[in-house]
Amino acid sequence: MSTISRIGTALPPWGTATARQVGDDEDAVTLAVAAGLAAIGDTDPNVINQVVVVSRDFPLLEGGNSAAILAGLGLREDVRISETIGGSPAVLDAVAGAVHTTLVIGTDAAGSAGASAIVCGAGGAPLGITGRVTRSMPVVTRDANGNSSDYADPRLLRERGVNESLSRLGTPTPLVAAGLAAREAAAVCTGTPPPLLTVGASAIGFAIAALADQGAAGQVLAAEQATLVLAELGAGSITVARDEPSARPRPDGKLAPGSSVSVSLSAYERAFDPKLRLEAGKCGSCGELSYPPRHRCIECGSEKPTLLVPLPRHGVVYSLATIRVPVPGLISPYTVVIVELGDTGVRTLVRLTGATPGSVKIDDTGSLVFRLVAVRQGVPDYGYGFLPDSTFTQNKEVAA
Amino acid sequence: MRRVAMVGAGMTNFGELFDLGMKDMVPMAVTEAVDSVDKGFDRADIEAAWFGELVTTDGFATGILADSCGLLDIPVSRLENACATGNDAVRHGAMAIASGMYDVVLVVGADKVRETSTRSTFWDWMGMTRDAAWDFPLGLVAPANFALHSARYLHESPVATREHLAMVAVKNHKHGVTNPKAQMRFEITVEQVLNAPMVVDPFGLYDCTPQSDGAAAVILVAEELADRYTDKPVWVRGTGLGLDRVMHQHKRDMTSFPPTVKAAKQAYTMAGIGPDDIDVAEVHDCFTGVELINYEDLGFCEKWGAAKMIENGETYVGGRIPINPSGGLKAKGHPPGATGVAQCFEIWEQLRGHSTNQVDGAKIGLTHNIGGPTAVSAITILGIDKA
Repeated sequence: MSTISRIGTALPPWGTATARQVGDDEDAVTLAVAAGLAAIGDTDPNVINQVVVVSRDFPLLEGGNSAAILAGLGLREDVRISETIGGSPAVLDAVAGAVHTTLVIGTDAAGSAGASAIVCGAGGAPLGITGRVTRSMPVVTRDANGNSSDYADPRLLRERGVNESLSRLGTPTPLVAAGLAAREAAAVCTGTPPPLLTVGASAIGFAIAALADQGAAGQVLAAEQATLVLAELGAGSITVARDEPSARPRPDGKLAPGSSVSVSLSAYERAFDPKLRLEAGKCGSCGELSYPPRHRCIECGSEKPTLLVPLPRHGVVYSLATIRVPVPGLISPYTVVIVELGDTGVRTLVRLTGATPGSVKIDDTGSLVFRLVAVRQGVPDYGYGFLPDSTFTQNKEVAA
Repeated sequence: MRRVAMVGAGMTNFGELFDLGMKDMVPMAVTEAVDSVDKGFDRADIEAAWFGELVTTDGFATGILADSCGLLDIPVSRLENACATGNDAVRHGAMAIASGMYDVVLVVGADKVRETSTRSTFWDWMGMTRDAAWDFPLGLVAPANFALHSARYLHESPVATREHLAMVAVKNHKHGVTNPKAQMRFEITVEQVLNAPMVVDPFGLYDCTPQSDGAAAVILVAEELADRYTDKPVWVRGTGLGLDRVMHQHKRDMTSFPPTVKAAKQAYTMAGIGPDDIDVAEVHDCFTGVELINYEDLGFCEKWGAAKMIENGETYVGGRIPINPSGGLKAKGHPPGATGVAQCFEIWEQLRGHSTNQVDGAKIGLTHNIGGPTAVSAITILGIDKA
């Protein structure tokens, strides 16, 4: 038994009203960060004692995702964080089992992409598990190498998978059913369940957010193939914040064959914190901000230790270049912009995101958002992208 | 400080020299420089050599120069300073003589861009000039570095447009036609430039330098020895080298290249002249928009005056101040290490009255490089008069 006080959701802008896909600079980690930041909103992130990230699309199976997620969320490196391989049932279990204030994030990058993040254990609506059944019906498989196969028998899944598991739970009639196709969910639920754009770990967060928007309370079901978790959501206040830009077609980029430059993990490690946390070095003598941080102050020359301080995440385009020629290992065209951040005078050089390459101008305003800048030798290189204000639409409702 | 005389200069053709390796091009340029000395030159007179090479494409640079040119008994040093390598190598050769340390010095510049495939060049040549963690992953390829400047320049300039960039390409292509060493010897029109496929906005294909191989060499001697080699030396009147913040995010005003301004100030001061005294110049036009910014940084016109200069034809041969009579990097080609030395070759020809695109009565010429990415500039001022 725990409580839910806030939910944040995130969708990539690319795709259609009914299914989104990740852009070239998005993955399960960037979506998790976007949803987590929406959930945290303007509340104090330091109240979060623990983060649980649930996904089946983690980019790094040997470790490395968690540090990037904490950095993107602006949480300290001593916050307890775990990566759980699973879907919406695992998210419900994590939420219900939360003892301290916990951020439970479900994130999906393969197929229909999206992420949701639930702040639990800090008041709000109560949630407790009322039933659970774990059964095997692997109609879709994917191994550690990403090899996938589809048994392609939805009727078998419905009748011997979902329906059999439901009957073992006493044939409940939930208000929402996350992890099922829309038609299956409608058959299982009482009334008309809200349309959900994802079916993986993020689905249950979207589902509870939809209930919260309606002020509804009752049974919620999370499914993953034949495995079900049933929970009772009680009455209480849940704040929902959606980072859900309206859907638009993904730009026609073309990947040029060949490999890009190799990665230096030493350089990666040195840059990690300021780059992923968007923090400048503040001079120990004159207070000048340097980005990236540097040994010797760019203004006064002091070599006193610098303090890392957060930079504003909104700014103005100072200059830009759109690369249209093929560049080996990269998808062209792409746009790089120099953005001047807030009134700090600090500029940063980043890629354009969430907009068609070449669609911004000097003096346009926008936000810096956590993105996958490159993948080199299997290493995802996270940083920030520039999301122009002009292309960003904050939707209050999930498009049907 | 002793005066420095240039008594010989040579260069290979610039182009895609697939049939020539570094070990072929370097001795070819050196031999041409040796053969150009009016009263004859014994290469045993060379006391030291500097080799400007941006990227090592075929093994140990200084050994290749010593070995391929038969200069095994003198010190040879490699110099690398991004796209300013060539003029900085000349500067080092001049310093070696001015200091009194040596009397006869060879300066060579060479690079073989086409030793790598056109496709992989972007990355093969990027490692040295970009920050590994912050810039690399962004795909900040060479044209993008300069496009960031030109985009801002076009935004702020009250007059300049993409047409003015195109006019630079048209001029330099026209100049290149008569240069037998140039890579691209054909004329183009403004419409062709504007309609060409885009490379990096605002640069289309014809706004960009080609990928080139080539080598160039000059022979420098102390004033006291000049008579022994020629009655018509060209004097190294001034040199300069300027730097700037490396990362673009730290360059406060991207409508100018501060390294050029600093290098020009040093060179003009050393020569005791000003921009109005320059009769002809070879400037770094790796991308058309860069040449316009150079006019202003070198003091050939006031801020935002470059567009009018090109529009009025002032920088054509026959105009007020002819720029890039050789065709420039744009038409002649741009093997980075060789580029600055080859610019000196062109001015050497101009001042001695032998250029294939001669500027009448040229007495003082300037050569200029900017690179690295836009963080280093080297300038040489040459004159037919000692002072």
